[in-house]
Amino acid sequence: MFAKEAYLEGGPRDALLGRDALLGRDRAIDAEFAEAAAAELTGAYRLAGYILADASEAQDAVQDACVRAWRGWSGLRERDRFHAWFSQILVNVCRSRLRTQRRHPFEPLDGFDAADADPFRAALARDAVGRELTALSDELRLVVVLRYWGELSLAEIAERLRIPIGTVKSRHHAALAALRRRLEAAEGTIR
Amino acid sequence: MNEREVEIESRLRELAAGSRTPPLPAETAALPWTVQRQRRRFGLLRWAVPSVPASRFGAGLLAAGRLAFTLLFSVGLLFGLGQIRGAPGSGAPAYVPPFSPAPTPATALQTPDPARKVVVLPTSGVVDDVMADFVSGGIQQAIDQGAAAVVVKLDTLGGSQTAMNRIVDALDAKIPTIVWVGPFGSQAMSAGTFITLSSHLAYMAPGTTIGAASPVTASGGDIGSTYGQTEAQKVMEYAVNKIEAIAAKRHPEAVAWAATTVQSAKAYTVDEALSAKAINGIAGSIDDVLAQADGQQVTIGGQSVTVHTAGATQVTIGENPIQTILHTIDDPNIAFILLVLGVICVLVEFFHPTLFVGLAGAVSLLLSFYGSGNLPLNFVGVALVVLGIVMLVLEPSVPSHGLLTIGGLVSFIVGAVAFYGSPPGPYQPAVAIAWPIIAIMSVGAAAFAYLIVRTALELRRQPVWAGRMTVGEAHLEGEEGEVRADLAPLGTVYVCGEEWSARSADGDIPRGAKVRVLSREGLTLVVARAE
Repeated sequence: MFAKEAYLEGGPRDALLGRDALLGRDRAIDAEFAEAAAAELTGAYRLAGYILADASEAQDAVQDACVRAWRGWSGLRERDRFHAWFSQILVNVCRSRLRTQRRHPFEPLDGFDAADADPFRAALARDAVGRELTALSDELRLVVVLRYWGELSLAEIAERLRIPIGTVKSRHHAALAALRRRLEAAEGTIR
Repeated sequence: MNEREVEIESRLRELAAGSRTPPLPAETAALPWTVQRQRRRFGLLRWAVPSVPASRFGAGLLAAGRLAFTLLFSVGLLFGLGQIRGAPGSGAPAYVPPFSPAPTPATALQTPDPARKVVVLPTSGVVDDVMADFVSGGIQQAIDQGAAAVVVKLDTLGGSQTAMNRIVDALDAKIPTIVWVGPFGSQAMSAGTFITLSSHLAYMAPGTTIGAASPVTASGGDIGSTYGQTEAQKVMEYAVNKIEAIAAKRHPEAVAWAATTVQSAKAYTVDEALSAKAINGIAGSIDDVLAQADGQQVTIGGQSVTVHTAGATQVTIGENPIQTILHTIDDPNIAFILLVLGVICVLVEFFHPTLFVGLAGAVSLLLSFYGSGNLPLNFVGVALVVLGIVMLVLEPSVPSHGLLTIGGLVSFIVGAVAFYGSPPGPYQPAVAIAWPIIAIMSVGAAAFAYLIVRTALELRRQPVWAGRMTVGEAHLEGEEGEVRADLAPLGTVYVCGEEWSARSADGDIPRGAKVRVLSREGLTLVVARAE
């Protein structure tokens, strides 16, 4: 029911309208947070982009993750764990965005390939494996992208997704099997 | 893992390794700083004040003004509604009674006798506890002031039994009590019949009506369906006994007549009531009443007393403001109007949360529920009215090509017509909402709901408002701004309250320098140093 601006505050507009002063917001910048978050941005954008296969979705995901991180920043005791903590937030944001995508799927226009417009989709489309990857279920896709694009070990994936390592292993295996089946079906050959 | 899957794994590894990361968009790169303006999700202040002017003082003024406006509006609404109280509201009689005029100051027919006073108590609307308080309090005041008599001006369709009993008891006072049903067009229906007959002297104006004090409704339904036959019989017998006892004190001939008002729901004209000896006479005004009552014998506490009212000073006692408000809202029309306004306000609150509209709506609804407590509400009608409003409010946001409006209007009008059901007892009023009010409210509700909700939806889509103008390509050229990230030659500038990607047209420009917008290329501004 609320417009997006209602809770995604900030931006120059608020400062201009004097809203910051009105709400008693402390305008002093926390340099430590800014430094830590800035170091995560490129990696986060890459990971979100390949999980969501969409640049603007990835941009929104990174923004949501930053907002959540800033809200939780004062509660974070071990600042040296920032990287793991931030990427866990990012993965959660991506998961909920994937769920929303499923509820509102995009129907490509005739003669218009989304891969042309989107850098992430274009990068995935270089190999048939990448194209089939976007058709996998959310859970399987997450494991594959975290494993190869995020370059995480299976144990780290288990930690990020908060699931047992056994589940990660079986999902990883299921994902490869599913990719194989889809590729074989696409090629029309059965070995 | 078979060999094919191993191959797939290596293909994935290769694909991932060769996947480059697109450059970060400028606003994403700025996130670590911009998100730091984020603090609280909701504060009461920001909820109450959705768009805030430039200063703290202005914001406080706006919030206070809003609160004052809401309160003024609510109070004004109640008093405004008070003006249409007693307006056409009955479905039973064939004619529409006029508005009750304000009590006219006494014009003495005979030489006024300042020592002799008559207290006049004007009443109208539903017989409820407020009216009972007012009448019994007024009579007590008259006794305290040593008045010669009390005149109760009556115009009612009926009301609650307990309130009626209190008024009947109060009219059996130590000083002569006179009920005058008037002016022209007034009625003393249901409980009003009992009240009229229980006074010491009763007069009616020409063109007024009395009767229909029956569990059998005008539409032919009977209360058997509501209460069960045995219960209906009991209610009926009690009402007949009560009215016969009241009428017996008045005139032996009036007893049989009084029983018919209950048993066959008959309404009588002035002449019929007079020939049945139910009333003492026909009087066109209160002066006329006082002239006719003068010299009449009444029995008070077993003793015969002569009434002296000729030339007396008339003292009119009005309801106090709280009584006026409470009595106003149980008018059938006003309870309906309050319900409609309340539902609209609550729904609008959902589309455009401002707190005060919702509060005003909740107050309206509560007042409406209080007001309809003495009225025979038909819940199917109420549900249809609410459904109608919901459909009308949904029209702007759900594409239905007008079907929702038509359906909403039909539901609203049918619900309004069926808003009040048949009275469940002999004392309660047979009421309906006046047609003009249904017409005005249905058109008004449709227009209001449409306009308000459409405006709320448009507000959400309106472009960013920055200072003196709206941001958009038409306004950007020629605007001045400041460099936020060094233009070398690409960077960002701050123009019209927004941060933009920018390209310098005259060499490198450092952060903080003033620039002027030359043109726009996509989402990138071409800028030059401002002199």
